[in-house]
Amino acid sequence: MSLPHAFDADDSPERPKVLLVDDDEVTLMLTEAALRERGFDIVEASSGERALDLLAGWTPDIIVLDAVMPGLDGFATCQALRGLTGFENMPVLMLTGLDDEASITRAYQAGATDFFVKSNQWSLLSGRLRYLLRSSRTRLELERSKSKLARAQDLARMGSFDWRKPLVPPGAGTGFAASAGSLSLAPEALRVFGYGPQDTVTLRQLVRMVPMPERRGMTRVLSGVQTQSTVLAIDVPVNLQDGRSRVLHVEAEPEFNEHGHAVGYTGIVQDVTDRRVAEDRIRHLANFDALTGLPNRRQLIWRTERALDHARRLGHQASMLLIDLDRFKVINDTLGHAAGDELLVEVARRLRSCVRHSDQVMDAALESAGLRSHRSLEAVGRLGGDEFIALLPEVADQDDADRVAGRILESMREPVWVGGQECFVTASVGIAMYPNDGLSVADLMRNADVAMYSVKNTGRNAAAIYSPMLAGRGREKLELESALHKAIERNELVLHYQPKIDVRSARMVGAEALMRWQRGSTLVAPADFIPLAEETGLIVPLSEWALREAARQAKIWSVNFGFADSIAVNLPNRMFERSDLVETIHQSVSAYGVPHRAIQLEITETGLMKDLQNVIPCLHRLTEIGVEISIDDFGTGYSSLAYLTTLPISELKIDRSFVRDLGITPQSSAVVTAIIALARSLGLRVIAEGVENMRQMEVLHRLGCTVMQGFLFSRPIPPDDLELWLQHTVLPRKAPWIVQAGADYIDPPRSTVISLP
Amino acid sequence: MTQPPVSAPGALQAQAAPYLLDAQALANLAQLDPTGANKLLERVLTTYCSSLARLMEQLAAARRPFQADTVKLVTHTLKSSSASVGALRLAALCSQAEQALRDARLDDLPAILDTLEIEARHVDAAVHQLLVPA
Repeated sequence: MSLPHAFDADDSPERPKVLLVDDDEVTLMLTEAALRERGFDIVEASSGERALDLLAGWTPDIIVLDAVMPGLDGFATCQALRGLTGFENMPVLMLTGLDDEASITRAYQAGATDFFVKSNQWSLLSGRLRYLLRSSRTRLELERSKSKLARAQDLARMGSFDWRKPLVPPGAGTGFAASAGSLSLAPEALRVFGYGPQDTVTLRQLVRMVPMPERRGMTRVLSGVQTQSTVLAIDVPVNLQDGRSRVLHVEAEPEFNEHGHAVGYTGIVQDVTDRRVAEDRIRHLANFDALTGLPNRRQLIWRTERALDHARRLGHQASMLLIDLDRFKVINDTLGHAAGDELLVEVARRLRSCVRHSDQVMDAALESAGLRSHRSLEAVGRLGGDEFIALLPEVADQDDADRVAGRILESMREPVWVGGQECFVTASVGIAMYPNDGLSVADLMRNADVAMYSVKNTGRNAAAIYSPMLAGRGREKLELESALHKAIERNELVLHYQPKIDVRSARMVGAEALMRWQRGSTLVAPADFIPLAEETGLIVPLSEWALREAARQAKIWSVNFGFADSIAVNLPNRMFERSDLVETIHQSVSAYGVPHRAIQLEITETGLMKDLQNVIPCLHRLTEIGVEISIDDFGTGYSSLAYLTTLPISELKIDRSFVRDLGITPQSSAVVTAIIALARSLGLRVIAEGVENMRQMEVLHRLGCTVMQGFLFSRPIPPDDLELWLQHTVLPRKAPWIVQAGADYIDPPRSTVISLP
Repeated sequence: MTQPPVSAPGALQAQAAPYLLDAQALANLAQLDPTGANKLLERVLTTYCSSLARLMEQLAAARRPFQADTVKLVTHTLKSSSASVGALRLAALCSQAEQALRDARLDDLPAILDTLEIEARHVDAAVHQLLVPA
């Protein structure tokens, strides 16, 4: 409260300015002298007319008017000055005769603040003037503070009200609506209700503004509060006359008379709609998924906890269904995240229709609405990513849950139109039952997850109910998946390299990079984690990492021993469908300053043929920038020979199964011969993998395949070991295969014919 | 109430005819200008004299023909200023005249006004007498 004091100082000058109006010069002279001596500044006016003239350009703090004057007398002057702006509340003291009661009455009628009987008792006059000045200042402060309060209330959309109890004999009427009482609202409060300051409203009118279901509850609260004379604090929705719906906060305290009887209430009403909307919005953001609008993980857990409480109390079963979309990551990766989001929204819409989904759960309803209230907990929610949960707060048995799961799978059958094309989505649903499969939310979620994974493992697009049998395997896999997620950032992945050898020159002509996972002390083979990586979509970051790492190694080797060949990296076919593969490779080689041809890509024949149309454009672009393509495991798939002639590929890799049987079954050498002939006629290089012994090498060589890789030469080994191998085995020409290969090396024509690019 | 200092106002007060000008009223006046530096008493008395002369002139004019309003104003004004300078008898006569007017006792009025005019002349003389030595 420092401001009022500042104004206070302004309003109480050291010497108050007094306008003294009297036609009698003697009185003027004496009064002036007396008041001046007592600390007032005096301006004299010898008539009412003169006084009004003065006031046109000057404002005193107080006016002293002689009542009886020729011309404009004191009463007329007072009346006139009250009409001037700024003088409505000016303190005016009227001087009258002691024996003149009529004048006193007239003085008040004319708007005088007070009267004073003329006398020579100057100190009395001075005291009266000071009193009037003080009360005028107090009044001014009150006016200011009132208008400030009004403005503050206006800004806060708040106004005060006052309600007096009706004067009825006790027992004549109970209930709030029955006894209307008298209500008075401040203009600001009227405004809150949408009324003008002049409008008069009754309590009944205001109560009618509250829509029906809430009105009943409100009148109950009001009469309860009133009969017990307790404090009222309530938020109520109202429909204003102009049709707007608002939420009002009403707060009031009881007022008591001197006998301690409650006589009414005084309080405020405030429009809290904006605050309510903001609160609702915050609550919604905290509890609902922004993309799909479904309850989020937090809200789902909350609902499940309530549902389990209820099931425990009433002894019935509940069920949780974990729904995971199959291969959603493929859609996200190929069509982009926007399309992925579109798909999720549509899936969410369909899932909602499979249960009695309730968006809102009323806390109060849960407590009061009886036995069926837990039904409002039933919902589909999004756990995150492409994982959804359906909560069934009450089921009779597993079949109930199974039926819902069936509806869910059925709802996915229709194609979803996203990113300008039709998508077929399926889902794997894991079901956990309360209390059989878990007593807590966490247990049910984990076991639903296990059941869901079992569906994934057995071909997807189905539902399974949890059984303890599933748990062991599923958990192991879960652990593996989460560990693999972290493998890249923890630098646990390594590339091992297997040299490709041209046996005629006994030279290394390239290497194949093979991924290993150094998980703690064990080295995990690709077969144990690549399928999982493919399933989870982790294969994409894994492949990208492999490309960068291979480029880095090519650079190191080129520095260390002039390596100028290619490192072959195995990519799953889905990587070839990615529009950014060329860019990824470009960035990888650029980062280490090696040419594009330092990277060669291997794609399996099966993978290539499965998705030929989508892969071909990418193969062309890769070839254009100098990245060669090798077809891995060639001979095992069903290659369309027609396509093979047009594909931009450089190399066929004879599958190890044919190599293994070379020299044992005649069929195998027939296949190898055919592949070599095919390669030759198409102008492709041919390389044999899985060469493990000298016999296989000799046969291959004889049939016309001179480039090979296999344990005969070297296992896949770390890059440093590969350098040592070159130094200690290849260069000194010590290995047995080199002796054999060296024998052929003297055959000059062949060595010139097959020279690797 | 402090004793007026021995000075011009004090001298004036001592010489005033006690039944015409009240000593206590004059002392109160002197109190407003204790040092006499503002010559307040002198100025007030001078003003009173000229006011008195003017008002008596107005009163005489208002008696024939009789103008109640003017008589009322004159007696009202003269009442308070006379009281101020200590002409208490004159002030009382003014009050009687006012009351007679207010009560519409017009028959009583001429006698009151005659007495008032005589008293006014005595007061005027007394005031002049006070002023001359200064």
